[in-house]
Amino acid sequence: MAELLLEVKNLKKYFSTPRGMLHAVDNVTFNIEKGKTIGIVGESGCGKSTLGKTLMRLHTATSGQVLYKGADIAAMPLKEFKQKYRSNIQMIFQDPYASLDPRMSVLQLVEEPIRVQNPKMSKSEVTSQAKNMMELVGLAKRLEGSYPHELDGGRRQRIGIARALSLHPEFIVCDEPVSALDVSIQAQILNLLQDLQRDRGLTYMFITHDMSVVKHISDDIAVMYLGQMIEKCKADEIFKHTIHPYSQALLSAIPIPNAHVKHERMVLKGELTSPINPKPCCRFAARCPYATDRCFGEEPVLRELKPGHSVACHFAEQFVKE
Amino acid sequence: MSENILEVKDLVIHYETDEEVVEAVNDITFTLKKGQVMGLVGETGAGKTTTALGIMGLLPSKVGHVIQGSIKLEGEDLLRKSPREMRDVRGKRISMIFQDPMTALNPVKTVGDQIAEVVLLHNRCSKAEALKRAQEMLAMVGIVPERYKDYPHQFSGGMKQRIVIAIALACEPDLLIADEPTTALDVTIQAQILDMMRKLQKDHGTSMILITHDLGVVAEMCETVAVMYAGQLVEFGSLEEVFDNPKHPYTRALYQSIPSLDKDVERLHVIPGMVSDPSNLPPYCSFFERCDEKCDRCRDFEPWAVEVDPGHVVRCLQYTPEWNGGEK
Amino acid sequence: MAKMHTPAMERIEKKNARRKKPVQSTPAYESWKRFKRNPTALIGLAVVIILILIAIFAPLIAPYDYQAQDYLSMMQKPSAAHLFGTDTFGRDIFSRCIYGTRYSLLIALFCTIAAFFSGGLLGIIAGYFGGKVDTIIMRIMDIFQAIPMIMMAMCIVAVLGNGIPQLVAAIMFASMPTMARNNRAAILRVRGADYIESSEAIGVGQFKMIIKHMIPNAIGIMIIYFVGFLAVSILMMSSMSYIGVGLAAPTPEWGLILNDGKAYLTNAPYMTLFPAMMIMITCFAFNLMGDGLRDAFDPRLK
Repeated sequence: MAELLLEVKNLKKYFSTPRGMLHAVDNVTFNIEKGKTIGIVGESGCGKSTLGKTLMRLHTATSGQVLYKGADIAAMPLKEFKQKYRSNIQMIFQDPYASLDPRMSVLQLVEEPIRVQNPKMSKSEVTSQAKNMMELVGLAKRLEGSYPHELDGGRRQRIGIARALSLHPEFIVCDEPVSALDVSIQAQILNLLQDLQRDRGLTYMFITHDMSVVKHISDDIAVMYLGQMIEKCKADEIFKHTIHPYSQALLSAIPIPNAHVKHERMVLKGELTSPINPKPCCRFAARCPYATDRCFGEEPVLRELKPGHSVACHFAEQFVKE
Repeated sequence: MSENILEVKDLVIHYETDEEVVEAVNDITFTLKKGQVMGLVGETGAGKTTTALGIMGLLPSKVGHVIQGSIKLEGEDLLRKSPREMRDVRGKRISMIFQDPMTALNPVKTVGDQIAEVVLLHNRCSKAEALKRAQEMLAMVGIVPERYKDYPHQFSGGMKQRIVIAIALACEPDLLIADEPTTALDVTIQAQILDMMRKLQKDHGTSMILITHDLGVVAEMCETVAVMYAGQLVEFGSLEEVFDNPKHPYTRALYQSIPSLDKDVERLHVIPGMVSDPSNLPPYCSFFERCDEKCDRCRDFEPWAVEVDPGHVVRCLQYTPEWNGGEK
Repeated sequence: MAKMHTPAMERIEKKNARRKKPVQSTPAYESWKRFKRNPTALIGLAVVIILILIAIFAPLIAPYDYQAQDYLSMMQKPSAAHLFGTDTFGRDIFSRCIYGTRYSLLIALFCTIAAFFSGGLLGIIAGYFGGKVDTIIMRIMDIFQAIPMIMMAMCIVAVLGNGIPQLVAAIMFASMPTMARNNRAAILRVRGADYIESSEAIGVGQFKMIIKHMIPNAIGIMIIYFVGFLAVSILMMSSMSYIGVGLAAPTPEWGLILNDGKAYLTNAPYMTLFPAMMIMITCFAFNLMGDGLRDAFDPRLK
């Protein structure tokens, strides 16, 4: 059994809204092994970004535990978290256009985290570390004085990666890091992330809505729907033996770039609702083509169907294909 | 009459400001047959949207200039039409669907009124008839017709895009230009919208240009494909030709750089460098710097379009006699 | 050839050839470039600069002392000797208007700075902390705004008498709510930005966040409001002086000069025309400049 870096237990994050309690992350439990990548997949509004930000302590959890090497980082005072764990857990943001301060130059942006976390370090030391970091992520030296608005999305995302890496974290939450990038640039960034993981033993939580990206980069995959985790297994497994009806629909909805594959598609009815004051039923029931009365009356729990493959569906056994 | 609905020939579009000239579209030529769906593929800044705006006659005034070329809709050159005549063409004969359904709708008018407005603009009919038509259109795109009295904010993202499509199709245009119609939507919603668009296109025989960066969407929807890079059509042909037998180095690299669901690859193929800057293009092949298959001769010429197979056009020097003069 | 060469491209190539070295494109430089391209904004800026020069060199420009009374030449029409004519005491209206520039600009600046450091700061605090702090500050500002400005000025003058500090105080209290609201909005817009969250993620502290990220990004919008407020202050000041709750005679303030001439509007319109024009030109120039700054700092707002 590999070493567990992060154990998330019954994590909940609710937001109070004028219309009621929004269950953004509801009772999510999973583990992340050191040096591995877990892919969190789901559509917008499923709570995957909130989950990432809750692990980062950018949101404070409503209840539940997040054990980082055994220490509960969700419950400890924010001050203690910032002192001891801020550097260990970092994040790469979705939109490289909005997540960099437009009034800072590239070098300043990369220096900032180093300076903040090492207030006693000399200015020249900070600069030299920042320069090393720029080289590591493939930012040319001549870009030091440039401002984000002069750079393309790929380079901006490299700045974002350099900022996260310069604190030498062990765990990085990647929140849709390539969604805003062009296809040819996307491949560059994905390769960079993989190289860094290999060289530095990083652990990733990779949040995305793109199934092909998540398959490429992840070891484990968890599918989220309206704040809950509905299926969790090894990356290969989900593409071969999809069990949950929602995962099936999600997979069949992906357009395949092949002129000859015309696959039968499972088109879902309706759209995602928002999880405000949810009733105790399967949250997917309203859109599920197989839903029965039981699905509308009882909430399914995530249970292990076969070793390493968990599903939250009352009728999961029926969907197991051998 | 010809069977081609749209013929674009030698089209060049520049954006001119005091600071720079952006060569957005550089000499593109393509034809679209009646009832056909063409995919226009390319990355940010490749000139896809500019091409569409050029066809619609909606280039930003003062800045956007058509330098040369012709755009013929059923034989009539749209570039020779007056702005007034173009207003009649837009909406009635060509419609466009924009990327972001959130901003394409007027928030203070009911969706029924917004559909009826287009109908009234292009047809002689009463308000009541137009509203009746609006309800038919809503039903056609899968929205309960009774909701015609609702305002845009009462609909979800996917529903809004359905309404935008209803507006675009209200006057039964001959040509529909869809600019990334599903990019802002989730996959399961995208699947719904694509299904619906395909059905409507079949039923009405509308010709369509689908602008997208997603090769998967192209494979599902289109019969012909045009790949754009730095304002040029680098490859144009039928879906099967371009997907099974890509000729241009850019098209090939593009396929290799997307993670595949069927194959496992350790590392993705990378197209080095950045997307070319259209305000600073070289006098030779724009893809030269990033190309895997380049040779020294590539710096001497601007490549021209070569028909490698019937209907399959590639703009790359390696398919011309000049290539043999150089070494690979 | 596929790529076309157009006259516009040649023009730009020539322009680039003339430029010695590429200029580092900082966000501030980009803003200046946008401002420079805007002719109306440049006109505004030019007029403001001229007005400032007039204010500085008033003693050199004005042909007469602004309070020198000359009973031999009372209420004269504009002539070569008295460009704007003379008032009921025979004072040269041109000289009074020139000196008036000094008073008006300076007091307007004081008022705006005072409003910025009271209302503006409260707005920044309200915007940053949000929640209860926000509610309390903004409700107090609402109460302030409910009191008519003229009435407040009259009360202040009634208690403390006429004078520059009283005038500044009156205008400051009157403009605090708007200033607070504007700055609060500027901070709120910045606070919601992704880069604030990304800085939070690398552990930037609260104080540094305000100083290093929020203020630099909000300052552009704040400057726009600041310039706009200069125009508003001049208007407020003049109208208060005009109805007699502003400055006391014989200060050569534009509103006061207007007040002097109001009784002779029909037979000596020049006595009011010229000071009114000064007020109008000044406000117009500030507004032009403000609009130019808005386009320059915030091209998306347009």
